[in-house]
This record gives sequence, structure tokens and C-alpha cells, in this order.
Amino acid sequence: MTTAKNTREMEKIEIATDVLVIGGGYTGLKAADSIAETGYRVILADQKDAGTPGQSSLFGLQPDFQNSLDGLKDAVKANSRVEFLPEARIKTAAGVPGDFTIRLTSDGTEIEKKVGAIVVATDIVSTPLNHIYGLDLSDRVISLSDFEEKLSSADFKKKLDKDKQTVAFLAGFAQDGNPLLMKRILDSVLAVEEAGKNATAYVYINDIKVAGDNLERLYKAGRDAGAIYFKSTQPPEIKQQNDGPAILLHDPVIRSDIEAEPDYLVIEEAMTPGQVNSELADILRIDLGPMGFLQTDNVHRFPVHSNREGIYVIGSTRDIQDLSDTWTDVENAVLDIKQLLGDGTKEVPKFCAVVDREKCVTCLTCYRCCPHGAIYWDDKAVISPVACQACGICASECPQEAIQVTGYSDDELLEQIRTEISGIKNGDPKILAFCCENSALEAGRTADLFHYNLPKGLRLIRVPCAGKVDIHYVLSAFIEGADGVLVMACHPGNCKSETGTTFARWRINNAYQMLEETGIDKNRLEFVTLASNMAPDFAKIAVEMEKRIG
Amino acid sequence: MIVAKRKPFEEIKELIEGYKKVLVVGCGTCVAVCLAGGEKEVGILADELRLSQKSEKEPAEFGEATVQRQCDREFLSELDDIVPQYEALLSMACGAGIQFLAERFPDTPVFPAVNTTFIGVNQDVGWYEERCKACGNCVLGMTAGICPVTMCAKSLLNGPCGGTNGSSCEVDPNQPCAWHMIYERLARQGRLDKIIEICPANDWRNQKPQTLIQPGYEERYESEK
Repeated sequence: MTTAKNTREMEKIEIATDVLVIGGGYTGLKAADSIAETGYRVILADQKDAGTPGQSSLFGLQPDFQNSLDGLKDAVKANSRVEFLPEARIKTAAGVPGDFTIRLTSDGTEIEKKVGAIVVATDIVSTPLNHIYGLDLSDRVISLSDFEEKLSSADFKKKLDKDKQTVAFLAGFAQDGNPLLMKRILDSVLAVEEAGKNATAYVYINDIKVAGDNLERLYKAGRDAGAIYFKSTQPPEIKQQNDGPAILLHDPVIRSDIEAEPDYLVIEEAMTPGQVNSELADILRIDLGPMGFLQTDNVHRFPVHSNREGIYVIGSTRDIQDLSDTWTDVENAVLDIKQLLGDGTKEVPKFCAVVDREKCVTCLTCYRCCPHGAIYWDDKAVISPVACQACGICASECPQEAIQVTGYSDDELLEQIRTEISGIKNGDPKILAFCCENSALEAGRTADLFHYNLPKGLRLIRVPCAGKVDIHYVLSAFIEGADGVLVMACHPGNCKSETGTTFARWRINNAYQMLEETGIDKNRLEFVTLASNMAPDFAKIAVEMEKRIG
Repeated sequence: MIVAKRKPFEEIKELIEGYKKVLVVGCGTCVAVCLAGGEKEVGILADELRLSQKSEKEPAEFGEATVQRQCDREFLSELDDIVPQYEALLSMACGAGIQFLAERFPDTPVFPAVNTTFIGVNQDVGWYEERCKACGNCVLGMTAGICPVTMCAKSLLNGPCGGTNGSSCEVDPNQPCAWHMIYERLARQGRLDKIIEICPANDWRNQKPQTLIQPGYEERYESEK
């Protein structure tokens, strides 16, 4: 079981060290401040519609949030290492890590900036869900954000107690909800109860989401202080009368109808990423994840990483986050940026994927297929050594065979295919397994090391990603005398290069058809997905292949 | 390659009459190779237009830009900031390129400066001949590599017709009879039995606007179908 060797010569290149931060809310300000502290110059693009500042989501009922936000904003604006661009809108972002060219408008003027890294720090938008409950907002039917603002006034709290007021909270019927929204409600419930012994909180709720730090404690504190919970899977009936809301709920536990006419009815809010996210995903060529957050679910993705090197997504840009999560993200981004930009010089592999400029016809296939956004073009395709992850998807898609990955060139791999097959003893079914080095290769090595029952004629070919497996390799293997071929990729959604597994699957499905057309039983080819810890499965798949073709 | 020919200057002038700022947009691929719409022809056309404006009181302005291919949106995007500065666009690309340009800038009138003529070959500098009609069902295997759809005036798939005059076509004595040429070449290759086979008619319903997805990419676009 041999593998291709990886020879990597390094070279030093100069890179830009300025950092662009997009989003002028708390997260963006905090990121700008922290990055500037490390010595890099920061361009803070205060994108107006990058979400509302999101203070209430981040700060909850912290009384001095406005002060701390204003203070941070003043400090950032006064920082000589930060250039604050008000009313900014990103128009285009070209280039690669260490050398991005950003064109944007700020206050109506066009500006061009060279930066080494980009941090996207947009904020959450809170939208009251009254329309789903069929309610109109009024003085007494109010959104959670508005109620949080009322609670910041000591007079309001005094009045709650003095006038023996009741506050009803409505949540979990209009949406699934999340722990951060729950925390905000629990905070408000507790604040109502702590306003005085005459103030009362009612909570009409479906599921109580307490999968977060301290939330159970907070829930219990509210209940201990006197809050009354009505838990139901059906929303209560609510009438909006002239003298305020009236709530009717059939309590499934005590099996009777309960009526209430609270002084305030507080409506839950949807917490969603701003519209600007999809626009930024398009401009920055980064993946748009579930619900419009700027990160896909991928186990290989470190917390603040996007699918592009040098572009970081932090805070509520990538998920619903509270203040401490956001701080952690800012710190992570700072560490990553330091590692990426260093002192402005960078050691990069001299060759990752290399374009043969004579052969390239600038068809843009590589640019369109690269999952890392590592490819651009002048008059021919150019691959950034900083951004290239050497997955080889481009090399196997290039219609001109103009791209080769060092250590995994077509010539080297085809030679290896020949050598491996000719080395198998006659009589043993010859099986070639193309193994992604991130998963199947490890599984295969473990299976070998643990002496699992493996076909004698099995040989592994290491590839940097299943996306490197060219149809040409598969057909060549059969031409050279292989009896069976396995293409072993990472599980869907687990691919380090995001789309490598998908590309491999597409190609192998195409190859099945080609084999049938050429008269070879397509059962001799198999596409499987594995994780690195699946050695027994690896052995089973290989043995089954041997049985099938033997 | 796709071959185009520049429109007569008078026609171009008429098309853009009244526009005070016009961008002449070239294409660096097929029309450049057939010497109709590359950077050089863009420069020449723009100069001609400027010259014709010399006697005008307020001469119109002409800009020049050539992208690698007008049929790729990535290349067209290079024009995003330039186009808004102009009142009209004069494209020297093939019909596909002109339409893709017009699609990208729907607020700006786009005019053709060339006539797209055919898919053809290069005989010598500036000399092109049609060879393919892109009919979508290639029969060259049984016609000895000579296309009857393109070369026969009637596009007959089972020829020749009664109008063949030995080696030339009845519509024009200078036009060789395609089926005569096919017969000659098949005879030379000893494959005359091929001419006896009845070739079923092409499904001409395929002449509606088509979308082509290469095998191997079908799954990729499945959701968009």
C-alpha cells in the first residue's frame, strides 16, 4: 500500500495586512477594536443595513448597553489605526487572501481598498411576530424589544408594582424559537417579578428552550419569584379589545379554561440575519448557510471560517449568538488573522495547483468550480498559493488538462495506477481504491494495521480530495487491468473542500454510464462515502467488491 | 468558429443616431479571430464614427471596450461600471454575445454592429467558409464528412435531387452539388453502400431555443430544471 509523495517547495511572498470589517453594530466595532489592538490597520465599513445594531439580542437587559456601545463606537472612531467608513456598501471584492481589492461606496463616494483579510460582522434583525398571531401592535400589545426598552426605566418598573400590573409573554407558537430568544424572555420575566411583589408575569409558551448557559437557573429563578407558566402546544385565543388584550387558554394540565386580561402582552420576535447577508455572500463568493446565515454546516469548518481563506464570519453573521459567543468569535478571528497575515510576508507552497498558461484557454471552469475562491484570472487563470487548498477539483475539471497539483499530477497518478496494478499477483482480483486522504485513506490504513480481512489484490491510491478523482483515472485503471475500482470520499457535508464529494459523485455516476456503454459491468465500480474512523466498513466494502468481481 | 461580418457603416450610423455617448464593445474570441469584432475592429469602428461626427456641432462621443467573451457573464461584469456612463452600446460580438450583453444591461439600448453569418472555417487571412448549421443531429459519418444540411441548397438528407448538374447545383452553377461531392468521396473510400441507406428526417422541432448540459453535469443542474 503505497501513496503519492508530497514534495512542496516553499517561497516567501509579500501580502497586504489591512483588514476590512463589514458591519457597524457591536460585533463589527468590537472586531475592529480588537484587530487594531494587534497592530493591523482596520477599515470598518459601517454597512447601514447590515442588521439593526442588535443590542437587545446581545445585551439583553444590561442597563448600560447604550453607553457601552456608544463608548466603543467613540473609541473605535478615535483609534488612529481604524478608518471608519460611514454609510458603506460593498460593491465588488476581487482577489485572494493577502491581496483583496475591495470597491465600495461610503457616503456616496467610491473608494477602492487593498486588504489582506475580510471580517464579516453583520447583526441580527429582530422582527415581532404579531402578524402570525393575528395581532396589531399597540400601547399594550408590544414587541419584546420594545418591552425590554420599557424595562430599562426604573419608573416603569415602579408602576408595574404600584398598579399591580400583569405582563403576559407569548412565545413558541409562531416559530420554533431558540435559546437566545428564550434568555431574553426569561430575563424580562424575572425583571417583571423583581419589580415588586404586586407585579406578575404570565408566560404562554410552547417549548421552553433552555439549551444554553444558565438558562435553567434563570427559568427557575423566574418561577420562584412568582412567574406563572402556561405550557401548551396550541396558542391561546387572544382578543384585542379597546381596553386591552384578553387571553383565553385551555390548560391541558388542569383541564379548564383560563382567562386573563393582562396590562401588557409581549410578543415574541424572530431573530434572523439581515437581508444584506445574501448580497454579501454573492459579492464575497462565500457560501450562504441555513436560514441565511453566512456559514454552512461542515465539521471541518473552524468556528469563524468561511469557505474562503482570509474571509471570516463572526457573531450573528454565522449563527444566533449571545454576547459571550460573540466575544469568543472576535478573539478567534483575531488569532486567525494574526496567523494569516503575520508581519506581511508569508511562506507559501511554491506549487499547489499550477496553471499551464500555454494550455489555458480561460474558459473559467476552474474559477467557477473552486470551492475556496482561490482562482481568478488576468488573461489566463491564476491560482493563489495562499488560498489554494490543493484539493484538485479544478485540475480534474479543467477541459484542457492545464492544471496540475504538485505531488498529484495526472502523470504521477497514472504512473501510480499502472505500477500498483502490475504489482498485484496474478490470480488475485485487482482492486484499486482511490481514497480521500481526509477520510477513507485513514480508514484503509487502520483496517490494514488492525489486520482486518482485506482483499489481497487491494491497493490504495491517495488523493487530496475525492474531487481530484478524474474519470480518466477510473477508465485508465480498468484499461490497465483492474477488476474493480472503489472511489472513496468523505460523507456528504463532511468534505473539507465542501463540494469535493459532490464532484466525485457526479463524475462516478457519469463513469457508470460510460462503463455500461463500453460493455463493462458497472458493478466493478463503486462510489462510497466514509469517515476516517470507519475501518471495519472499509474492509467490508473492499471484501464485498472482491466477492462481486471474483 | 462563429463567423460574423461588420454591418455597412451607414446602417450602424443610423442605428445609433441621436445617442450622444456610445460604447463600442468588442469580443476577444470568435469575432476577433474572424477579423470582425476584436479590439482592432472596435478601434477602427470607433474612429470611423468619430470622423463622421467631425462636422457636427455637438459631436457624439465614442468609448471602446473589448472583453474576452461577451457570452460569459464574468467577463461582461468588467463592464458594469463603464456602461452606466453611456447612452447606448454597440456590440461587435456574435448574436449570442449581443443578447447576453443586452440581458446584463437591460436599461441601456444595445445595437449590433456585425451580422452573425455562420459557423465556419478559416481558409486564409480574412477568408471564411460556412461548414455547419448546428442542426443538432450530425450525419457526417454517413456523408463522408461533407454536411448536406449546410452544403446542399435544399439541405437534403437523401440526395442528390433531380436538379444536380453533374457536379454543380441547379441554383448556382458555381455552387458544387453537395451530394455529388459526397458520392465522390464515399466512392474514393469504398463506402458507396452508405449512400443507399435512407437517412430519416431530422427532428426539426429541435430548432427552438435550446439548453445544453454536458453529460456529467446533469445532476449539478437537476434542481434548476
